[in-house]
Amino acid sequence: MQIPSYFTASMLALSLVATPALAQQITGAGATFPAPVYAKWGEAAKAATGLELNYQAIGSGAGQTQIFNRTVDFGASDAPVDSAKLKSANLLQFPAVMGALSAIVNIPGVEIDQLKLSGEIITEMYLGKITKWNDPKIVELNKGVTLPNLAIAPVYRADGSGTTYVWTSYLSTVSPEWKSQVGSGTSVKWVAGNGAKGNDGVAATVRQVKGAIGYVENAYAIQNKLTTTQLRNKAGNFVKPSLASFAAAAENADWKNAPDYAINLIDTQGANSWPIVSATFILLPKDPKDTVRSANVMKFFDWAYKNGADIAKSLEYIALPTAVQDAVRASWKAEIKG
Amino acid sequence: MTGASQTIHASGPARDGKIADRLARKRRFQNHVVQGLCLFATAIGLAFLVLILATLLHLGVKGLSLGVFTTVTKPPGSNGGLLNAILGSLIQTALGTAIGTPIGLLVGTYLAEYSAGSKLGDAVRFVSDVLLSAPSILIGLFVYTLLVTPFGGFSGWAGSVALAVIVIPIVVRTTEDMLRLIPVAMREAAVALGAPKWKSIVFICYRAARDGIATGVLLAIARIAGETAPLLFTSLGNLNWSVDLGKPMASLPVTIYQYAGSPFDDWVQLAWVAALLITFGVLALNVLARIVLRPRS
Repeated sequence: MQIPSYFTASMLALSLVATPALAQQITGAGATFPAPVYAKWGEAAKAATGLELNYQAIGSGAGQTQIFNRTVDFGASDAPVDSAKLKSANLLQFPAVMGALSAIVNIPGVEIDQLKLSGEIITEMYLGKITKWNDPKIVELNKGVTLPNLAIAPVYRADGSGTTYVWTSYLSTVSPEWKSQVGSGTSVKWVAGNGAKGNDGVAATVRQVKGAIGYVENAYAIQNKLTTTQLRNKAGNFVKPSLASFAAAAENADWKNAPDYAINLIDTQGANSWPIVSATFILLPKDPKDTVRSANVMKFFDWAYKNGADIAKSLEYIALPTAVQDAVRASWKAEIKG
Repeated sequence: MTGASQTIHASGPARDGKIADRLARKRRFQNHVVQGLCLFATAIGLAFLVLILATLLHLGVKGLSLGVFTTVTKPPGSNGGLLNAILGSLIQTALGTAIGTPIGLLVGTYLAEYSAGSKLGDAVRFVSDVLLSAPSILIGLFVYTLLVTPFGGFSGWAGSVALAVIVIPIVVRTTEDMLRLIPVAMREAAVALGAPKWKSIVFICYRAARDGIATGVLLAIARIAGETAPLLFTSLGNLNWSVDLGKPMASLPVTIYQYAGSPFDDWVQLAWVAALLITFGVLALNVLARIVLRPRS
């Protein structure tokens, strides 16, 4: 009879410890890019509102599938879902936060944010047209920097990724040739270079290969002290990747003309705008089978909009403008069945 | 000695001492070469094993602390632990084994004891062997369509069932093989004493094959303790403390999968700790089983 009593005791202990689990839990899944900020918001919101967020970073594509199948309370995606699909799946799409991508390089002697590049030059590198770092086009932009006679090795994400979607959108925006030849998407048919899996794979490859160039989320570049570059923006100025230049890009966004909030923040106007900024999106069913959980999701993001800006900043993300937050709140009220 | 060997009525090359010596030398040489190659191959295999364990220890131990076992996973920079993942892994591995083992044991028994010459037996054996080598992500997707989509959510139950599906073919194979090793004479002895077939299986065969069957179960546990793919789309993972099997549940492999590739040093460190815990958890289980199953004198 000893074993059963042991068992009951441990079960009792478990249930005692487990009491916090009675807090209201909401489950979301999808994009990897905003995962750190959602996790941090979740921690802070739990203390403030009692809501427990369980966000799992399974990728933008998988996140869309999960919310189409209604296996989670909300889905998350870096690439906006098109209007027809949103309608057929009966989903409301709204932005949660904005972030930026950085170009990273590995050239001996070149320091962080020292090299100046333009979208046109990067496109030609990824098309295999500029193959040496001492190409006259690059040298012209970088007077005073000694560039070696080194082969350029472009690196891209081999896995389907929202980051690739944003990067190729940028290349498509600055280069008609890229747009017609390769286009944009979560995975595309690359012309030159080598693939690597995940941000970590791209970063590791760029670190190992002299002459490599790649792209990662800016938070990733900062955390790992990768050699980022300056980029020329639409106004023709060279800007460094920083919260200030990201925010400048976000300020110039035209939210009013973005159906389903599918905002385009690539290569926006503004003297100090960073050219590769994007929003990341939440997908919420308009006809929730559990209205309490759906209300909790909205309560969570309402809290995050109000109180989450500093947390976002500390992780290199930018909060939404107040006007957009209010528009999203109005959409919740009008479109989600409560 | 050459003189002496000539006096013996030996046949073949042994009649000539010189040839015999040369042949023996050649054989010894060949023996040494092959032995050397074998040792070399063993050394390569062992070297990788030692390297893996050393890397795990080197990178994992420095992240070990009490906090790992007492706090749940937290956002980067918040001193999180692995408590929910450790518990989730224990629960799902235990449940998966508990569901899969009896089924596997019974199927293995059917194949070894009852299916001789039957078409059904051959079919079951074939399907089980196919399942044994099926990619585990497929099993995850199978359980996803079976349990996650219809019930409208990820759950610890779905994760456990996916793990059970991996356990079944491993236990089937080892149970059948072990039962087939039992000499027919033992079964005959039981029957001669008037025992019905089921009694001879339960009291004679199972007892004799106990160690082998237990090893099979251990192999299955070791395999599922480190599986990520079948859990990704079944139990999903959970950032918070949760022992509710009806809700998404955390696990060590899924946590490793998410943390190892993250930009944050503390998450990467926790991924190493989690890998260390799985490896040495399985090792400890193996050692424990060896001690418990040691033949009693």
